[in-house]
Amino acid sequence: MTSNGPPNPLVVENVVKKFGERRAVDGLTLSIEPGEIIGLLGPNGAGKTTLIRAIVGLSRVSSGTVRVFGHDPVADRRVRAQIGYMPQDLAVYPDLSVRENVAFLAGLRTASGRPDPDDVDRALDAVDLSERQDDLLRDLSGGMKRRASLAATICGSPGLLLLDEPTSGVDPALRLQLWDLFRDLASRGGSILITTHHIAEAEGSDRVVFLRDGRTLATGEPQSLLDRYNAPDLERAFLHAMRDGR
Amino acid sequence: MMVLRIAGRVLREMSRDRRTIAFIIVAPIIVMSLLYFALRADADTDIAVVSRGPARLFDYEMKQALADADGVNLVELAIADDMPDGPGLDQAIRAAIIAGEADGVLLLGQSFLPDRFAGEPGDIYLYLEGSKPLVSADVLDAIADAMDELTAALPVVIDAQCSNDCANSVNNKTINVEFRHLYGSDDYNATDLFLPLFPPFFAFFFTFVLAAISFQRERSRGTMDRIFASPVSFLEVVAGYVVGFVGFAGVQAVIILAFVFGLIEFEFSGTQIGAIALCTFLVIVVALLTGLLVSFVAANEFQALQFVPLIVLPQVFLSDMIWPLATFPRALQAIALAMPLTYANRFSRDVLIRDIPMIQSGANLLMIAAFILFLVAVIGIARRRMTV
Repeated sequence: MTSNGPPNPLVVENVVKKFGERRAVDGLTLSIEPGEIIGLLGPNGAGKTTLIRAIVGLSRVSSGTVRVFGHDPVADRRVRAQIGYMPQDLAVYPDLSVRENVAFLAGLRTASGRPDPDDVDRALDAVDLSERQDDLLRDLSGGMKRRASLAATICGSPGLLLLDEPTSGVDPALRLQLWDLFRDLASRGGSILITTHHIAEAEGSDRVVFLRDGRTLATGEPQSLLDRYNAPDLERAFLHAMRDGR
Repeated sequence: MMVLRIAGRVLREMSRDRRTIAFIIVAPIIVMSLLYFALRADADTDIAVVSRGPARLFDYEMKQALADADGVNLVELAIADDMPDGPGLDQAIRAAIIAGEADGVLLLGQSFLPDRFAGEPGDIYLYLEGSKPLVSADVLDAIADAMDELTAALPVVIDAQCSNDCANSVNNKTINVEFRHLYGSDDYNATDLFLPLFPPFFAFFFTFVLAAISFQRERSRGTMDRIFASPVSFLEVVAGYVVGFVGFAGVQAVIILAFVFGLIEFEFSGTQIGAIALCTFLVIVVALLTGLLVSFVAANEFQALQFVPLIVLPQVFLSDMIWPLATFPRALQAIALAMPLTYANRFSRDVLIRDIPMIQSGANLLMIAAFILFLVAVIGIARRRMTV
């Protein structure tokens, strides 16, 4: 946490999440600075989604602490207004239009339930869906639905974005486009935690956390990890980290 | 070969869904047991005989005839033997039926025998509670059985006190049974007695199905997570859902109410419509919350659907809607007290058939309101447990 300044967007300390005897998250610690993108990388079942659900208050941690802007998101749910959460599922309403989806889901973060229409416009513009804003979600392609879901997440510029596999099922061109958007959001002060199992794409992150079996295998800037493991790309660096971690 | 592979896949997948397996086993047992108890309704019709004047001479034959009839349980009322025939006795009999001492009471009044001797058929008064069609039907069956034996018994006694002509003419006359309904009248047909119970039941049924499936869908596609991950409070979420669905359920309730009040043949007032509408509204809220709770428990829409018979059918059997609750074993009667439709049916019957002012039956509405609070609390706990 930065000393004497405003609290960090996200601080996770020694978090353990158990399901029965199984430890889905096993003593994880990480924090995000304002304007920073952290890529949480790992294979399926590494504990990425479990961690995100704990951060957003959908599940309670077994031990350890989660602080969002200095507050516990389970006990003090008002702080969740500063979290833009994009679940792994599309989590949109097929029978509402793109704009209605964005307005409703982003409105949940506002006191009035209605986001600023200009914010909705900007979010739709950012994901390139302005032209299709009146179309029903069920009539859109999978990639467009995911972009609509992302628009609902970033609308109103919440300080902390938790994006759970935002690029899953997305074609390579759109994936690059989305990463450009993430960088743009970060450059304007947003802090972003992105999970992905497309490890290579996380080179756009400021910092990367390799996760396996709920534990941190390695963490650092992408370039430093490439150097540390003498790997040409993050995927291979991850494999080396796994081998070293055994 | 392919058929076997597909069949194997179906069996394998189903056998791993423990809740479905439980439903497949438990649901028919519950439903069939309830139906068994409902249809077993015999020996449970309590009938009392009250006689005054010379008719006391027939007490024994009358009671014997009734006791021999199928499905009759002969009971004694706590009415003083010397209470004369008249308004006082009439009131006492009505009070005894309301107190549940008997389902029906036969009164052989002061003038029954003198009328009979004078060559009239003679009137026997049959008191019925009147608001529960199946009870009334049971009593009528029993009386019809007993009346045959009674008529056969009468001339033997009359023979000793009357000329042959007289006896023969009396013998040929069927005793006239005059109905005295506590509620409603003998003009009421079965639909008049059942229709008032339609609004709460059908509103509950349709709303519950709508809610359980919709909420489950919201959960399975992840939008409910998104809502619960927001700053919105749990109560706001529940209230929002209820208000939203009440719109649709309300339209449905209006259709149901219009249908029912359009078909009822007896007179009713605007206040009565309002009272039934209020009751139906409360039931809709209960149904929505029950649907929400089921959506938390069910893992998918398939399982949510399986809750429908489990939640709805016991209320059909046990809520005193068709079969009298007294028919069922005591344990099941206790379960009936934990069902919202039991109170909704009591209220509807009180207000529409018994003409009891809404305020006097208001405790039933308070019970339904209590169910609402209880369900909100349970959903809160279920939600909290899911967060763990």
